[in-house]
Amino acid sequence: MALLQQVSKSTIPSFQRILPFLTTVGNVRGFSAQSNQGSKETGVDLSQFPPERIRNFSIIAHVDHGKSTLADRLLELTGTIKKGIGQPQYLDKLQVERERGITVKAQTVTMFYRQSEDAPAYLLNLIDTPGHVDFSYEVSRSLAACQGALLVVDACQGVQAQTVANFYLAFESNLTIIPVINKIDQPTADPDRVKVQLKSLFDLNPDSALLTSAKTGCGLEHVLPAVIAQIPSPSGNSNSPLRMLLLDSYYDEYRGVICHVAVVDGVLCRGEKISAAATGKVYEVSDIGIISPELKSTGILFTGQVGYVVSGMRSTKEARVGDTLSHAHTLVEPLPGFKSAKHMVFSGLYPSDGSDFDALNHAIERLTCNDASVSVTKETSMALGIGFRCGFLGLLHMDVFHQRLEQEYGAQIISTIPTVPYEFEYSDGSKVRVQNPSELSSSPSKRVTECWEPSVIATIITPSEYVGAVITLCSERRGEQLDYSFIDSQRALMKYRLPLREIVVDFYNVLKSITSGYASFDYEDGEYQKSDLVKLDILLNGQSVDAMASIVHNLKAQRIGREFVDKLKKFIDRQMFEITIQAAVGSKIVARETITALRKNVLAKCYGGDVTRKRKLLEKQKEGKKRMKRIGSVDIPQEAFNELLKVS
Amino acid sequence: MLRILQPHFPKRLLCLPPLSNPQTICTNASSTTAVALPLPANSAAYVHLPFCRKRCHYCDFTIVALGSTTNSDSDPRISNYTKLLLREIHATEPNSDSDPLLKTIFFGGGTPSLVPPHLISDILDSLRSKFGISSDAEISIEMDPGTFDASKLDELLRLGINRVSLGVQAFQEELLRVCGRSHGLSEVEEAIGIMKSADGLANWSLDLISSLPNQSLEMWEESLTCAVAAQPNHISVYDLQVEQGTKFGYLYTPGEFPLPTVNQSADFYKKAAGNLPREGYEHYEISSYCKSGFECKHNQTYWQNRPFHAFGLGAASYINRTRFSRPKRMKEYTNYVENLENGSVADASSASVDLKDLAMDVVMLSLRTARGLDISSFVGKFGWDLTASLCKAFEPYVESGHVIGLDVKRKALPRSDFELGRDSDTQLAFIRLSDPHGFLLSNELIAIAFRSMSP
Repeated sequence: MALLQQVSKSTIPSFQRILPFLTTVGNVRGFSAQSNQGSKETGVDLSQFPPERIRNFSIIAHVDHGKSTLADRLLELTGTIKKGIGQPQYLDKLQVERERGITVKAQTVTMFYRQSEDAPAYLLNLIDTPGHVDFSYEVSRSLAACQGALLVVDACQGVQAQTVANFYLAFESNLTIIPVINKIDQPTADPDRVKVQLKSLFDLNPDSALLTSAKTGCGLEHVLPAVIAQIPSPSGNSNSPLRMLLLDSYYDEYRGVICHVAVVDGVLCRGEKISAAATGKVYEVSDIGIISPELKSTGILFTGQVGYVVSGMRSTKEARVGDTLSHAHTLVEPLPGFKSAKHMVFSGLYPSDGSDFDALNHAIERLTCNDASVSVTKETSMALGIGFRCGFLGLLHMDVFHQRLEQEYGAQIISTIPTVPYEFEYSDGSKVRVQNPSELSSSPSKRVTECWEPSVIATIITPSEYVGAVITLCSERRGEQLDYSFIDSQRALMKYRLPLREIVVDFYNVLKSITSGYASFDYEDGEYQKSDLVKLDILLNGQSVDAMASIVHNLKAQRIGREFVDKLKKFIDRQMFEITIQAAVGSKIVARETITALRKNVLAKCYGGDVTRKRKLLEKQKEGKKRMKRIGSVDIPQEAFNELLKVS
Repeated sequence: MLRILQPHFPKRLLCLPPLSNPQTICTNASSTTAVALPLPANSAAYVHLPFCRKRCHYCDFTIVALGSTTNSDSDPRISNYTKLLLREIHATEPNSDSDPLLKTIFFGGGTPSLVPPHLISDILDSLRSKFGISSDAEISIEMDPGTFDASKLDELLRLGINRVSLGVQAFQEELLRVCGRSHGLSEVEEAIGIMKSADGLANWSLDLISSLPNQSLEMWEESLTCAVAAQPNHISVYDLQVEQGTKFGYLYTPGEFPLPTVNQSADFYKKAAGNLPREGYEHYEISSYCKSGFECKHNQTYWQNRPFHAFGLGAASYINRTRFSRPKRMKEYTNYVENLENGSVADASSASVDLKDLAMDVVMLSLRTARGLDISSFVGKFGWDLTASLCKAFEPYVESGHVIGLDVKRKALPRSDFELGRDSDTQLAFIRLSDPHGFLLSNELIAIAFRSMSP
């Protein structure tokens, strides 16, 4: 400890006793001339914050219930960000997050707060969580570093499916839950109804609920005092050997891997050596600090604090999220990790132009550096060439990954039809797990004797007038009703067991549209169930296209085959030859269409020898062809592949 | 001419493979960018005379609409423009000594027949003094019905013009009206009469447009019949292009009523390709037919990708392998001519022409013709690899009958012989598009060729 104090004194030149604790800090990302660490030294003395003056909490809510706005307000209130400066939804940094209004990556931010001039200062770590079911893995990860959570509920919409799911995640993690009824400024706000729901569904004391409007600022002054009063401080032991939970990591072009950590026990200083329990590798801490809201170097982190560590890791693959970090050569009991990511949806990703493979490879490598929850293996398709089989947490996750590849890396991709992991048993007794429909044998000698598909337990909350429509939808999707109850006089809560395949594509959109947008939906993993599955092949001019194959329920094969064929007919342009499109189960054709051959495409005139114009037109036509994938002799536009993804 | 016969390759562009004819093979051509090919001689000139009575409804070309009230013989806009044109010709770098005299001149428009013959005469004089005009030069002019009489044609012929391209477009009064032509059927008949009776006009062409709004197959057959009856030496058949910004562009969508469907316009094309050869007109280019020996020599310059001068508003020249389009607005064109006169227009230079670009132009233009792409010349200029990938891309279309391989005697090769061998056994001497199916899909096929050459 003596050594520690020495280090901290030497690295922290001056300490200001009054708030704000931070010296003026500009943009600290990137290089700084004064510091070889890249972050500017700040005048923060973290030793002022023993565990009892620290609160770690997150905000959980159904999408659009005001989580990000509330986070913005709290950051402003504590002076962490300046009011009106910077973009709204500060913590949603990715373009895709802003465009879609969703949070994909968990974010951490440290705030300094004092209730009055002479009250003690507190260090509050807000750990923002994603709001979508696909990212519940990220939610559970964030919750592992928290002792409490603000459960935000929209005063107009009341409890929604994700509220329920997130509540249980927090509840199971033994977190103190503070209900916050938000948007009380809205004309249709009905906080009393929400209080009744909170009581009946979660047994939460209605009187403990805070009433706020993050938009107008009303009631916000009670939020942080409640956090301090109700949420317990972190329980670690500052005299024990160091144990840190690795919460998240991302790759920074200039500084390498930056780990987000929660120090559970002990203290960590810059220059010390740490090792990772999972890999045993040893690293030297080159920079350490808090995130408030940008990286601020402090040289040290104490028990209960949350911050970042830069330690020369080359790839985020070395930083296993949920891993325990300790001082090198010190034996510690690893911390309980958390649920690892489970891949529910798989699809092939191919460059839309074969020659772009290296570019796509590079883009995927870079992106998975910051999204370790995607699994990636190389695969080869007869039709599309070399590509990747990627596993995702869910369909939104897949969508977001595609969008980020395109937006952040300019990659042009073709995705194959998403599939869930099925299990098949063949007549020879062998059993396989199939993540790619083309792996499923079409050969009659290897007959499938049994098959299983993953299911989910879905929670749907809907206004009672839409119950009939929801039941119809769920039974169309091969659902089995498990529960049906009313959470208040107007809202029903239904639980269904549904095959994962049935909700992967457009279940949520259809649910929204049949309930005029009022129903909410969330799900958790269920078990594998026996099923009657077949491989649906798509044939172009008689040639089966592996990248278009899918596994579907026997009873739906014909309808889905028909939809595939119709979509392809619509999106494949007429070409020099007639094209037949067929959908087949085994040798049985279930749908067929023909695209007649192109008859005429000619430029008659070359005005006065001006061939540049003609040339440009033909170049354009060539570029159009380039964006197509040639399978056999058929040119298929990227849109045709994309359209297939939308067939449920 | 000597330069053409003895190609001079810089060493770094020429990598001689063993077992090959060193004169014609340049294997790494596809990876090079600079052009080290000899320049063909420039013996053609295009002169743009943009004046029209009014703009036709399908036209988006650079024209100046005069209106119908003025007398074009004394319109100062025409005489002023001609002065500008003469200044441009005068300020243009003359051909080098080794270049031949002009062998073709083409007065295009616009409606060149609106320009008074004495101004045409001035232009020809100017070209003659600048470049020289070969005594057997083909000198063409576009003329529209209703803009000339027998004596005007006579005057033009006496100036040395020896080929007329008559813009008839249709033989139906209602179609002429729909097109916004400034003449009717009687003017068409009168004009044809003048052509037929003109002494000293041995070569004239008649233009038709197919796929016009409300045009039926019967109307089209009638137009073809009337065209043949007029006995021109050459017939051009253009399939209507609906251009953005034209009246047609606002009103119509290709393939939708009242325009014929794509299948109908394909039938129109096939009708011409079937009927005209029966009447002795060879289908020598996608939209051109002629009696034997009456190919438009000037247009051959374009199809063979040879250089040509161009003068006038919006005119496109091709000199030193550089394509250049003059400004399309009169004021900017005037500035351009002034700059040309005071030497501030950079000389067109061939320094940075991409070899692949050049190859693509050659493919695009030669595949428009019945002669097709000359394989040995193409291999010699652009290398074996590029040619081989082109052949490979075309293989399925040989199978389907859209592309034909020919031997040196222009005999069609069976599918199995459609390959580019490295030895002298290769029979493939030409590649052409079939008539009419390949021609009808020429855009597709050329785009496929482009893709194979520049993936």
